[in-house]
Amino acid sequence: MCKNEKPINFKPPRQKAALDDLDQYVNMAEGRMSRKVFWERDIYEQELEKIFARVWLFLGHVSQIPKAGDYVTTSMGEDDVLVVRQKDGAIKAFLNTCPHRGNRVCFSEVGNARGFICNYHGWSFGIDGALRGMHESGAYEASGFDKSQHGLHEVAQVDSYKGLIFGTLDPAAPPLKEYLGDFAWYLDTLLDMDGEGTEFIGGCVRSVMKCNWKFGAENFAGDVMHAGWTHDSGAKAMLGGAVPELDKCAGDSYHVNVNGHGWEFNLDKVGNSATFGDKEVRRYIHEIQPKVAERLGHTRSMMIGSISSATVFPNMSFLPGQNTFRVWQPRGPDEIELHTWTLVNKSAPEEIKERYRRGTMITFSPSGVFEMDDGENFEYSTRSNRGRVTREQDLFLGLGIGTRIEHPELPGNVFQGQINEANQRAYYQRWLDFMKAESWDELPQR
Amino acid sequence: MTITTEIAGRSAVDAATAYQLETFLKREARLLDTERYDDWLAMLADDIHYWMPSIESRRRANNGGATHLPGRMAYFDDFMEHLQKRVARFKQPTAWAEDPPTRHTHVISNVEAYAGEAEGEYLVYSTFVNYRSRVETDNDLLIGRRTDVIRATQDGLRLARRKIVITQTLLQAKNINTFL
Repeated sequence: MCKNEKPINFKPPRQKAALDDLDQYVNMAEGRMSRKVFWERDIYEQELEKIFARVWLFLGHVSQIPKAGDYVTTSMGEDDVLVVRQKDGAIKAFLNTCPHRGNRVCFSEVGNARGFICNYHGWSFGIDGALRGMHESGAYEASGFDKSQHGLHEVAQVDSYKGLIFGTLDPAAPPLKEYLGDFAWYLDTLLDMDGEGTEFIGGCVRSVMKCNWKFGAENFAGDVMHAGWTHDSGAKAMLGGAVPELDKCAGDSYHVNVNGHGWEFNLDKVGNSATFGDKEVRRYIHEIQPKVAERLGHTRSMMIGSISSATVFPNMSFLPGQNTFRVWQPRGPDEIELHTWTLVNKSAPEEIKERYRRGTMITFSPSGVFEMDDGENFEYSTRSNRGRVTREQDLFLGLGIGTRIEHPELPGNVFQGQINEANQRAYYQRWLDFMKAESWDELPQR
Repeated sequence: MTITTEIAGRSAVDAATAYQLETFLKREARLLDTERYDDWLAMLADDIHYWMPSIESRRRANNGGATHLPGRMAYFDDFMEHLQKRVARFKQPTAWAEDPPTRHTHVISNVEAYAGEAEGEYLVYSTFVNYRSRVETDNDLLIGRRTDVIRATQDGLRLARRKIVITQTLLQAKNINTFL
């Protein structure tokens, strides 16, 4: 395989001129931003370089690839990637493209293999990405071809945090733990309730939305406000009543963010889990909560199934307690692939896992009674901006400016009240940070 | 010349029964096209299992190249209570993505009917084309195959099982706001 210790040299180099305008596009002190960041092709291309080619991105869950040779295919930005369990148990990831003519080397999305062979000229790679041989290999040998220089391009760094596999294409990126920072404290609420870990239910639902990738990510970072309005029909169908007015109990609810990662939540313990309309799932949350409290403390134990949502910057999101887990994969400024899974505690009874599988399907999947109404919102928030004059009109993200508080227990930036746009502002501030920073050293801690 | 009309030891139904079953499926399609969801629910048996698995692209060497397996992620894996909840959402005035209404057409074809495993049940294969339109330019096309178990009851035919297999692994639509 190739050593990827050198930074990627983008040709032509990044266009600094275009980036100078970005400060005008995102003004989070005033809570306003330009619609152009959801539409302009130039900005999108910069996102692929400045964000997706640099940051730690979610690649999969360890439970998807337990054995040597197990693999899943995914993408990092628009770069297709192959994630493979190695013989020594480590996980490596490679660009899913043959270094000879560039054809895709793996066409299935999941499976087990002893290696990967390109269909074009038979270049054959081990699960470690090394070039092993090819059709007509004698001719290559006669010309002094050095196989060791022509392996699959390896993703610069791969690491995992409590079951979630992440990778970055940037060898200069700081370690994953540093990238997650204090947000890991919150992630443990999802990933480490009992020390036994989590797993994905088998399979993945993939769908296309004609929207900008940031709309889904920012929505999960902080936008519980839309739930009571957008999802009124789903709530009435599943729960028999409207979503409660969350601003009326703001004392128990928060927006928290760390370097653009955002989690909005209250402390009602079961609000998200209740969306299934399944009393067995609610009972499960009530049953495990006291033990989670012993392990993680009372506050986090009340977050395990509460009304909440979260995004790890830039494009991995989930709903705690509801357990839909998803990545918003960019496919141009106005299109995404949405990949969704169901995450469960490994220790949960099989019957509960099955209820989670059905529950996420009927709520947050393309056929889900909640998600059906999200898609149109995201798509038309994007598509409206084709209008040249429309595109010049700023958007408002000013809700909750001035709600920041100091909290004795919660790490990161804490804001009082779940009905807030603090996390969305933090998300776009981080977006701006990355778009402007030429190196990791230039990135401020937020 | 005789034409073989048996699969796996099952006999094809007679022409009159075939006509009834085909009419049942066409009526179902018309009810769905016109959003008569309560009438549609009334065509289902109480023990309905309505399954539309997510489709996976696998090599033939893995699981025989199966594109779907039970117990994995799905679009629908529903019993009656789930289908009733979905219908309940469609009927809410706040189902924003249904107002103005989505314009539906379900085309049903390739209907093939055999005696079922249980007395009074039929195994019915069909294909469908589902075309949905919204706003000016939102047009979603889904094509797939269905395997149904349709049961003859005192009250008429009822759909007892349905498996829906589409061709797309990556659903080329933001949602499935219909039944197939």
